[in-house]
Amino acid sequence: MKKTKINSIPGCVWVFGDYREYFQNRITLQLIAKGRDLAKTLNTGITVVLLGEQIHQYAMEYVAHGADTVMVADHPNLKEYEVETYTTVLAKWVKAYQPEIFLAGATSFGREFFPRLAKRLRTGLSADCVDLEVDPETSLLVQTTPSFGGELLAEVITPDRRPQMATVHPGVFRELPHNSEAAGRIIYPEVDVFPEPRLKVTRSRPQNKGKVSLEDASVVIAGGMGLGSKKQFELLNELAGLLEGEVGATRPAILSGWADEDRLLGQTGKSVKAKLVISIGTSGALQYTTGIQGAETVIAINRDPNAPIFRIADLGLVADGKTVLPLLIETLRKRI
Amino acid sequence: MVKYRESKISAHHNYLVNEMPTPGFVVGNPDKQEGFYFLGDIVLPEESTPRISCRLLAEGSGNLLLEMNWNRIQSNPEGCIHQSIPGGFQVVHSSGDILLEVRTQAFANGYLTRIKARFYDENGDLRMETRGDSIRVYDAEKPVLDSPFSSLA
Repeated sequence: MKKTKINSIPGCVWVFGDYREYFQNRITLQLIAKGRDLAKTLNTGITVVLLGEQIHQYAMEYVAHGADTVMVADHPNLKEYEVETYTTVLAKWVKAYQPEIFLAGATSFGREFFPRLAKRLRTGLSADCVDLEVDPETSLLVQTTPSFGGELLAEVITPDRRPQMATVHPGVFRELPHNSEAAGRIIYPEVDVFPEPRLKVTRSRPQNKGKVSLEDASVVIAGGMGLGSKKQFELLNELAGLLEGEVGATRPAILSGWADEDRLLGQTGKSVKAKLVISIGTSGALQYTTGIQGAETVIAINRDPNAPIFRIADLGLVADGKTVLPLLIETLRKRI
Repeated sequence: MVKYRESKISAHHNYLVNEMPTPGFVVGNPDKQEGFYFLGDIVLPEESTPRISCRLLAEGSGNLLLEMNWNRIQSNPEGCIHQSIPGGFQVVHSSGDILLEVRTQAFANGYLTRIKARFYDENGDLRMETRGDSIRVYDAEKPVLDSPFSSLA
C-alpha cells in the first residue's frame, strides 16, 4: 500500500482562479499554460488560488489543464466575487507564502480586484499584459503591456517588490488540453476570519444573449467607423451568418452604439484566435489589432492604402467597406 | 507560515474525504484477513463509478456485518441489502438502518463521490463518520492513495 507524503510549500508562480462562466471564460486556463512555462524557467511549480463555495469541480479542471497545486478557500462568504473579502484573504496568503509571481486575467473583475491587492501588498502591477517572459539572466518577470494609448508596447519589470503582479489580456496565450489522467495537490490554508461581505448579490443573469463567444469563433467579421453608419454595420451580422462567424467591433463603433460592449475587440476587449478575421473599415490602431493578432488569417478592407491595418493583414483590399460589403454578401449568397 | 490541510487531487474522479477531494483513500489494512478496513480505490479515466471495498464490523460486538469488493457484497452474515439510488448505491442493514451511502456527482469533465457512513474497528474505535457532506476518517497515517490499490484487482 503506497500512501502520499505531502508537506512542501506551494509553488512560487500563482494564478488567480477566475471560474465565472467557466466554459466561456478561459483566461485562467490560458494563464496556467503560460504560468507553467514561467515556473519551469524558475524551477518551481504553478499554483492556482481558488476562492468560493463548493468549488471542487474547478479545482479538478485546473489540475486537468496543468496546475501542479490548487490552493482553496471554501466558505459561504466567498460564494460571490466580492473585492474586499477576496483582497483580505489573498493578501494574507501572499504574505504567508510569498509567491514570486501572481497573475490574473484582465477581466472586469481582475481589473478591479488585482490593483487593490497590489496596493495592499505594496507591490507593482502591470495591467492588460499581452506577453510575459522570465529574463534568464535576472529571473525577473518581463511584463509586456500596451502603453501610451496603445501606440507602444512597454516591457515592465518589478525588481524590488514581491510578488511581481500582472493582469493578462484574455486570449493571448493558448490553454493546454484537458488531461483526465493528471493529478495535483490541493491545499486548504487556515483562514482565521472570512470577512462578512458588505455587498450582497440579490440577482444575477448571464450577459451573453446566447451568442457564441468571440474567443471561440472560428470566423470573426470585425467592423469599425469606416462603415459609416449603424445600418451599414448591421450588414456585418448578415455576412457573419453566411460564414457561420461572429461579429466584433472596434471601440469607436461600440461607443457609437453600433454593437454591444461584449463585441469589443482589442486591448480592453477580447482577443480572438479565429481561423479567419475579416476586418472592414478599421484603421488598425494598436489597441484594436492586439485583439486580432492571434488569428490565423486576417483580411483587411479599407479605403486608405496607408491604414496601419494593412501592416498586419495577410490579404488587403483597398476599397470602401460600404461598397464592398453588400457585394460580398450578394456573392456569398449565390455560392452558399 | 499559515497552517494548511492538504491532499492529492485527481482531474478525473475524487472522493470527498476530510472535506477535501481525494483520488483514493484507505482506512485500516485490506491485506489482513480480519478486522475493519474501508477502501475507496482510485477510479481510472475510462471509468465513472467509484470502487468501494470494505469489511464492516458491528459497533460494540465487533462481529462481521458485511464484506464488499468493488461495490459487490461478498460476505453478508447480517442479511444487508444493496440498493441502487440516484447517483450511486446504499447498503441497508436488515434492521432498516442505512450502513453506507455512496453518491457520485457528475461534472462536465469529472466526478466527485460523497460517502455517508459511521464505522468502528475491531477495538471499538470510531474510524469513519459523516461530517457535513464529507466523510471524516480517523487514521494515524494520511489515508491518500498514490496509485490504485491492486491487491483486490
